[in-house]
Amino acid sequence: MNKIFKNHKSTSSSPVNLLSSHLLAIEGMQKYEIEGLLDRANYFANLDRHSDTKKLSGYVVLNVFFENSTRTRVSFELAARRLGAEVINISLINSSIKKGESLLDTASTLNAMRPDLLIVRHPHSGAPHLFADYLNCSIINAGDGRHEHPTQALLDALTIKRRIGHLEGLKISICGDIANSRVARSNIHLLNIMGAEVRCVAPSTLMPLNLEKLGVKCFYNMEEGIKDADVVMLLRLQNERMSGTENPSEREYFKFFGLDETKLSLANSNAVIMHPGPMNRGVEIASALADDTNRSLIKTQVEMGVAVRMSIIESLIHTKTKSLEK
Amino acid sequence: MAYTIFKSINVLNPRTNFDEKSNVVIENNKIISISKKINIETLTNQKSVTIYDGNGLTISPGLMDMRVNLGKTENLKLTQKVALENGITSIVILPNQTPKLNNPSIIDHIYKQSENTILPKVNVYGAATKDDAGLEMSELGLMSEMGAVGFTNGNKSIKNSLVMRRLMSYAKMINRPIIQHAEDQDLSGLNQASTTSIRGEMNEGEISTRLGLIGIPSCAEVIMIERDIRLAELTGVHYHVAHVSTREAIDVIRQAKKKGLNITCDTAPPYFLLNENVLLNYDTSFKISPPLRTEDDRMAVIEGIQDGTIDAIASDHRARSKDTKVQPFSAASIGAAGIETLFSLTLELVHKKLINLNKAISLISLNPSKILKIKEPTLELHEDATFIIFDDKFKSTINQKDLMFSPTPFEGRSIKGHILATFIHGNPSHLDPLLRKRVLNEF
Repeated sequence: MNKIFKNHKSTSSSPVNLLSSHLLAIEGMQKYEIEGLLDRANYFANLDRHSDTKKLSGYVVLNVFFENSTRTRVSFELAARRLGAEVINISLINSSIKKGESLLDTASTLNAMRPDLLIVRHPHSGAPHLFADYLNCSIINAGDGRHEHPTQALLDALTIKRRIGHLEGLKISICGDIANSRVARSNIHLLNIMGAEVRCVAPSTLMPLNLEKLGVKCFYNMEEGIKDADVVMLLRLQNERMSGTENPSEREYFKFFGLDETKLSLANSNAVIMHPGPMNRGVEIASALADDTNRSLIKTQVEMGVAVRMSIIESLIHTKTKSLEK
Repeated sequence: MAYTIFKSINVLNPRTNFDEKSNVVIENNKIISISKKINIETLTNQKSVTIYDGNGLTISPGLMDMRVNLGKTENLKLTQKVALENGITSIVILPNQTPKLNNPSIIDHIYKQSENTILPKVNVYGAATKDDAGLEMSELGLMSEMGAVGFTNGNKSIKNSLVMRRLMSYAKMINRPIIQHAEDQDLSGLNQASTTSIRGEMNEGEISTRLGLIGIPSCAEVIMIERDIRLAELTGVHYHVAHVSTREAIDVIRQAKKKGLNITCDTAPPYFLLNENVLLNYDTSFKISPPLRTEDDRMAVIEGIQDGTIDAIASDHRARSKDTKVQPFSAASIGAAGIETLFSLTLELVHKKLINLNKAISLISLNPSKILKIKEPTLELHEDATFIIFDDKFKSTINQKDLMFSPTPFEGRSIKGHILATFIHGNPSHLDPLLRKRVLNEF
């Protein structure tokens, strides 16, 4: 697998100098930053986890989740621990918000504990930006409302790169609930920056207005949208963010927008399937396809999540430390 | 007898289209002379005379802000004071405050509370419906007797078509306008049943798609106006659309006016000076209703002001505490302060050569008073001496720290135009130190 990365200039054995000490969004990132983070993540992915350097020993990472999450929270926690950092998980789904404390008060309370890094997931778009404005530490956006989920896009990119070898020129179809998806937005930006051809497939009620201005082709017919695609990325129907008039029923959705063998046969014969999880089997994807290890990279995505987040945590702390030295 | 004289000052009276350099003499609370020549000696024999050098300054009627959210009754005095300092001699407050202005006694109470001969006059809109659901007609007639100048549900639209028809019909009978916040609340996800997950937050389009915020389609405005125009035609009411923000809405109003219907509308500075692109950093001081629209809509608002489709400019003042604004965009409160910047931001249209000064002052004084049939002093001979003195070339920068109310969506903006004095019934209720320096002689 390492062969793929040898062409890149940056050495995978060092953290990346980023332009910002926060990772709030993919939009606005430079190509070299993304390449650097992916190279470094690839290095971590190949590393025997018992030979971890623990170079962030003594650093404190706060995992602050205002929304339910299992895989993302655990993935960040593992990544930080493998680097040797202390991790504290804080679930604020019910506590402060119910007590009426404002987000800013929560933020300044956390800031007073002097963490080095704050990983935040929040149901409102732009909430991590607010943290970044008022806190001293680095912020990682672990998903904000319908806006972005940058670490997911980076781990998706690493997954594709390790399987296919490159991103440039690939035809990638993102299918499903685009309107409510932060994963879709981060992937659209990242894949565009890396030179892939991005298509979005969704029922018209789940396609946000003017999406083509983000540099994608929009399709309302899945057969057309995934024709010759190298990668088919599926998204979860986010029922919790809907009002009941977006989609007639799950079975109708599966008929027109669920991935099955027949539809997949129109894609490139080597096409791979991805899904950020959690999956609704039989809604977005036929159950058998999800488990087909030849086509489905869903488990690899989860695995790459840890390596990518190690790379991000390390590079952000590196960038922050350098900026403080100046 | 006390006299105040403004020597060689530019006199601007939008009602008579008078715009000339003159000398203005005030005796107690009346304007007794507006003339090129002035016999200062005869006056200086009098007991008390103050002469100001008016060169480069303008005197005009006091301003009227026809759309002010008080928030709560306790803010009344402060709002009057701040209005005064910004050249506003008459304000109209919206009914959706605490407590709600939905019955005659509370309207009477507001009038009594605000009565003060040296402060700006306070006028009141009555709530069109008693309830939040917008289904029961308020006592329009009794409120009208207590002085309500028009009826509206403030920042909520009057949604039910039958209720609107009845309100219009009744308002026509008692000769009062219906003022509508035009927004199809179902379409913008703002109806009572909506959960926060689909509540409209900003204009729908590329920017909302990028930011992952819920869009309010611009047609939510025109849909409501088109329905209302049909009902206004049916009932013959004077229908006024508040804070228009979209090209489509302005086009439809323009057509209705051509048809001869009794329709007027206003807009607010954010809609002719800003567009939705400023939202890209999730800055909540730009979270207002209706939302900031596209650049094309902004141009349409300017065109509407120029050709007279838009009759007036109001501040749409809705001050919000920092606590409710330093929030994620979705959780932040809606609204921005405006009473302190209404004058200078309206003048920006003059400095950009889009309209002349006379028209600018009309939009924020004469026109709102005509729309609401409120008699205001007009800077004419023997009239009540309620007026303002300003320097339209005075440069400064809007800075939140200097303002009483927050938030301003215009932080850091360079402006030209400064109020130097506000006279109410002959009393110099507000005098800027810069004007004191212009005293030529005091006896």
